[in-house]
Amino acid sequence: MKENYRFEVDFGEQILRCSVCGFCQAACPIYGLTRRPALNARGKMLLLQEILNGQMALDQDLVETLFQCTGCASCEVNCPSGVEVPEILRHVRQEMVDRGTCHPAFTGMNDVLRTAANIYAESQPPDYMEKRKVNQRAEHVYFAGCVGAYREEKATEATLDLLDCLKVGYTLIDEVCCTGILEDVGYTLHSSKAGTIIDRVKATGAKALITGCPYCYRTFKNKAQFRGLAESGIEVIHISQFFMARDFGVTTDQVVTYHDPCDLGRHGGIYEEPRTTIKKIAENFIEMEHHHAQSLCCGAGGGVRGGYPSNSIGMARRRLAEAEAIGADVVLTECNSCLHNLSNAKLRRQKMKVFTTPQFIGHLLEEKA
Amino acid sequence: MLDKKIKNELMDIVGPENFTEAKIDMVSYAYDAMGSKGTPDCAVWVTTTEQVSKIMELAHRERIPVTPRAAGTGIAGMAVPSHGGIVLDIMRMDRILEINIEDRICVVEPGVVYADLQKELAPLGFTLPTEPGSSIVSAIGGNVATNAGGLKGAKYGSTKDYVLGLKVVLPDGRVLKTGSRTMKTSSGYNLTQLFVGSEGTLGIMTEIILKVVPLAKATKTGLGLFDALEDAGRAVIQTMSSGVIPSVMEVMGRYLIQAINENTDLNLPEVDTMLLVETDGYTQTEADAQMEKIIEIFKKNNASEVKLAETDAERTDLWAARKSTYPVSARLNNSILVEDVTVPMSRLADLFREFGKIIEKYDLKVAMCAHAGDGNFHPLITYDGRDKEMVAKVEKASDELFKMAIAMGGTLTGEHGIGIVKAKYMTLEHGETAMEMMRVIKRAFDPHNILNPGKMALDG
Repeated sequence: MKENYRFEVDFGEQILRCSVCGFCQAACPIYGLTRRPALNARGKMLLLQEILNGQMALDQDLVETLFQCTGCASCEVNCPSGVEVPEILRHVRQEMVDRGTCHPAFTGMNDVLRTAANIYAESQPPDYMEKRKVNQRAEHVYFAGCVGAYREEKATEATLDLLDCLKVGYTLIDEVCCTGILEDVGYTLHSSKAGTIIDRVKATGAKALITGCPYCYRTFKNKAQFRGLAESGIEVIHISQFFMARDFGVTTDQVVTYHDPCDLGRHGGIYEEPRTTIKKIAENFIEMEHHHAQSLCCGAGGGVRGGYPSNSIGMARRRLAEAEAIGADVVLTECNSCLHNLSNAKLRRQKMKVFTTPQFIGHLLEEKA
Repeated sequence: MLDKKIKNELMDIVGPENFTEAKIDMVSYAYDAMGSKGTPDCAVWVTTTEQVSKIMELAHRERIPVTPRAAGTGIAGMAVPSHGGIVLDIMRMDRILEINIEDRICVVEPGVVYADLQKELAPLGFTLPTEPGSSIVSAIGGNVATNAGGLKGAKYGSTKDYVLGLKVVLPDGRVLKTGSRTMKTSSGYNLTQLFVGSEGTLGIMTEIILKVVPLAKATKTGLGLFDALEDAGRAVIQTMSSGVIPSVMEVMGRYLIQAINENTDLNLPEVDTMLLVETDGYTQTEADAQMEKIIEIFKKNNASEVKLAETDAERTDLWAARKSTYPVSARLNNSILVEDVTVPMSRLADLFREFGKIIEKYDLKVAMCAHAGDGNFHPLITYDGRDKEMVAKVEKASDELFKMAIAMGGTLTGEHGIGIVKAKYMTLEHGETAMEMMRVIKRAFDPHNILNPGKMALDG
């Protein structure tokens, strides 16, 4: 007996348009790791087609695949039929959650964010806030995001040191999670948290909100709940855009490569800004096999790091293998979440260093000094 | 349903983590790029010849159907487990075992993706030149099993021309080696070629020895526009008999050109027929000289316009039209059927014209293109798969296409294979005696019909 599903109204045609050609297998990081067709976009669309045909129910059995996707959008970029898989999955997951089905890691994340300010339920502000301006008037606000604040504090601190070094007028704010990720894993973005962020940014009188996190960047830029930023004339920019026009006066002859974060590249269209900065400092810049719109996901996104840690690390190792293949000494990225996953996945024998671009520039400045 | 004892045996062979009967896997393994017609009871991921051998021993003993599967990009249904049983996924057997340029061969496991092999060969100046349309995703095992071909068939042939030897697990679990590592052999029956294009009905390949050829160092791309199909058809025939063999020669029809214009910014001239051609060689002079000859033939046959790519960017622009064929067609409706009947080259223009009448009769939307250099016709029929009347019309049009191609001295399939969808036409093409001999061969290898049953009309 076929049930009526909300996602059928908006996405039924698209789901049906998946011609099951399987070309997404060439790009899907989870398929590439596991070789399990059920986890690939085609496998997911087939299940949804079966559901829309009344052959299956949208139940717990489907969690393992429908909630195991980093949302990297490489399938979408490569789909001959133009199927927008990440957007479809976002809506399907919301419907599953409404029906009481979800991955426990994501239920947990939602529960945490009901009461906590960040996804890690940390109650103390990060150390780097102690000696810096917080909630004060300034031209710019720097927003680290949860991973930058509580898992990759050193990378954030390096970015802030660089802003200090360039004498940029900025302030930090008491951050709360943008909660954008909740929409990806079946829940709802918290309007109240969005309101808090908007109010705190506005209170500084800043003209620009600089994010260190590509996911926060996407959320601030695109979500209706954050429209208040644009309405108040506050520009949202990613740190890589901000640093592009700067000169740091350092160079390196190490072999440097760049890992495009999916949220910044495929989702945000920002490919060249980080490269402009990197090419200024690294004379031996080499692209990995997959780059720009074809970049290989590090495996951290879409809640996969929390929900499926082993596969998440496996995906990061595939990416690091590409860096190793070109003999990279340094892998740069512009996302603390990518940094976190790639660093955790690095094998002992892999001698390359993984940094954010500002972090690496900071090291070069230290060496120079 | 398989009983618990058999499942346990399978898990013992491959390890519990490489066995699945999860609902999500059974759905994905019910399909290949054709669609679905049967659901498996379980699936296994194999990594060694020994595992495959043990699984086949078990399946042979217990009479369990086994469907081997590579990337699942075939569009004739050969990887669909129509009789249930076990799906044997070989995509984790993905090692390139050897590239030996001195002997001009490489040895690969069946799960190596075509494009991944090319990436290793190209820096050495060599290639496996078959280049199927699914090259970025399809695996060599599947390419061999379907005798896959591609754009370059006219000059470089298809997969069969590059397979020198195989390691194969037979349906009863025995392991067979065929062929050799040599460029030629006249020793005994050519069992290698028996397995090429056998669609996994005779054995499961676990190692493949391939011949590789030098990568062309220079290419030239050109385009000819024709207001009349007959002129383009004549241009193709005269080109192919001129002494010049283009590495690629693609023909595209008016509706396809219009569809591309409506869905891209390419602004192609909306002529009746477009011929896109590439020559290659060891030197640029060689590629250019061949192209010059072809352009001369195009002009002699009333081409309204000819264009030559002078730069890489222009070359990319010219190819963008051909490359957009599938993406544009796939978005025109919710279902798409790509056929690949092949006729003698001299009949290709007739086939275009006659099939044009059929699609008019059934009021179908069909983007028509072909690998003109080898007579391989590719109509892309787009339709609403929910509309039963429309589906019936598509089936009727395909039926008439198959019969027409056979009547012209052609074949049901140039490069996609027979699988399930074309099985019922096998006798039409091959006749009763040939079909009986194919079934005799099938029974000799697989007396219990457990290996990929239901394909190629071999049952019975």
